Amino acid sequence: MSKKTKQTTVMDPFQAWCHKWSRIGTVIMLVYMIALPFIVLAYYDSIPSFGEVINLSTISILMIYIPVGISEALSYTPILGSSTYLTFLTGNIMNLKLPVAVNAMKLAKKEANTPEGEAISCVAVSVSSIMTVIILALAALLSTWISPIFELPAVKTASNYLIPALFGSLTLGLFSSTKSGKKVVKNGIAGVIPVLIIVAVLALFVRITSGGSLFGMVGFLILFMLPVAIISSRIMWKKGVIKVVDNDESASEKTE
Amino acid sequence: MATMKDIISSPLLLALVVIGLIYIVIFSLIHLKKAYARCLEMGITKEDLHKVIKSSLVFSIVPSLSIVVGLFALISVLGVVWSWWRLSVIGSLSYESLISSSVASALGFSTSAEMLAGATGRQFGVVMILMSIGMLSGFFILIPFGKKLSMSVSKSENSSSWKYVLSGTFMLCLFAVYIPVLLIGDTVQAAVMLTGLVIAVVLGVLASKPKLRWLSEFIMAFSMIGGMISSVFWANLFQ
Repeated sequence: MSKKTKQTTVMDPFQAWCHKWSRIGTVIMLVYMIALPFIVLAYYDSIPSFGEVINLSTISILMIYIPVGISEALSYTPILGSSTYLTFLTGNIMNLKLPVAVNAMKLAKKEANTPEGEAISCVAVSVSSIMTVIILALAALLSTWISPIFELPAVKTASNYLIPALFGSLTLGLFSSTKSGKKVVKNGIAGVIPVLIIVAVLALFVRITSGGSLFGMVGFLILFMLPVAIISSRIMWKKGVIKVVDNDESASEKTE
Repeated sequence: MATMKDIISSPLLLALVVIGLIYIVIFSLIHLKKAYARCLEMGITKEDLHKVIKSSLVFSIVPSLSIVVGLFALISVLGVVWSWWRLSVIGSLSYESLISSSVASALGFSTSAEMLAGATGRQFGVVMILMSIGMLSGFFILIPFGKKLSMSVSKSENSSSWKYVLSGTFMLCLFAVYIPVLLIGDTVQAAVMLTGLVIAVVLGVLASKPKLRWLSEFIMAFSMIGGMISSVFWANLFQ
């Protein structure tokens, strides 16, 4: 296929539905979520002044999360596609929804950024969202009785290591999932080698100098590393290091 | 003058939270129905869909339980209802946990227990508003540009080969940032990640045997649980 061909992507009916109705539903929920504290505070005649909410000490807290939110939207939307609205609304993306979507696409042998991949991700994210709401509701209702279990040191330790455990289990899927679909990207990893090197050097520097980790800075890092990854992938694609070829496996499946 | 305790145990707050959660469940159910029907139309079999639903349910249990651990940490600072709401909608465990520990000092209390005992309704109002607006920045990108962002990498049969490359780059970049941070930044995190990976590989090999094919649906869930359990051992060894 010529690299220079320009095409317009036709939107699948489900994608179109999501980009219209999920977006409207999300805006409604956002308005409700912001209004909720004000309704309760107005009832108790306790609405704080603007200066009490926005001041130096509170801005320092907000400043940590503004780039994280932007980074999440920029990096997760192209992976989750039309199911992003539901995913963002129910939250806990990296520690739950994104892995669930990846797992679903892998099981159904569908690729991300295709109508099939986005629909199957949406099934998984919906199920997972309902499950989380139910588990949290039960936990809140039964908090008095079950809190001792969740306050055990071993349980607390294990829950602190959810993200590393997730990456361990996801890494295998990353390599096998590229084999589905009609086309396969060969050497795609080459495009992110500069990112790997930069982050590894930074992580090593921080570890040696302060003994600490960059774990809390991942949101910032992704925000700055995404352009590096896209530019270097583009260069390697132009130079022919990264190639897109027909998937022999899927072709042979088709002829069978 | 209302106190923080009045607000966190308020029936009005509880009622509004329950209404919001019902909305979320209905919103999710509508998406489930729509996506399920579209999957069938596109030729994905009911069997495959049920496999995905079953695996997603199992996969969601453990991360949800670790959110419950966060819930109990937040309850001691912010009360049951508000913590429950924050972790069910938009919230991310890391953000809510950080803000709960930061707000007490930002409001001039030395500990969160002191805040719970002595904060006024207005002071708690600051916490509620900050927690509600803090994670909105992503939506300023998602709502106006979500369609453009996702369609920019959407693939079809006649897509250019660059779209295929670009589409994979986002996920690869996520891994290229997380993996060195986890492997180099902290020994326990590295050990947990590698344990999860080894379990996934072993389960993958086992699932290739005909009698154990059912395992393939749960490789990610089981390797994640195994990795998390191993953290107790690694933390004792290295810390």
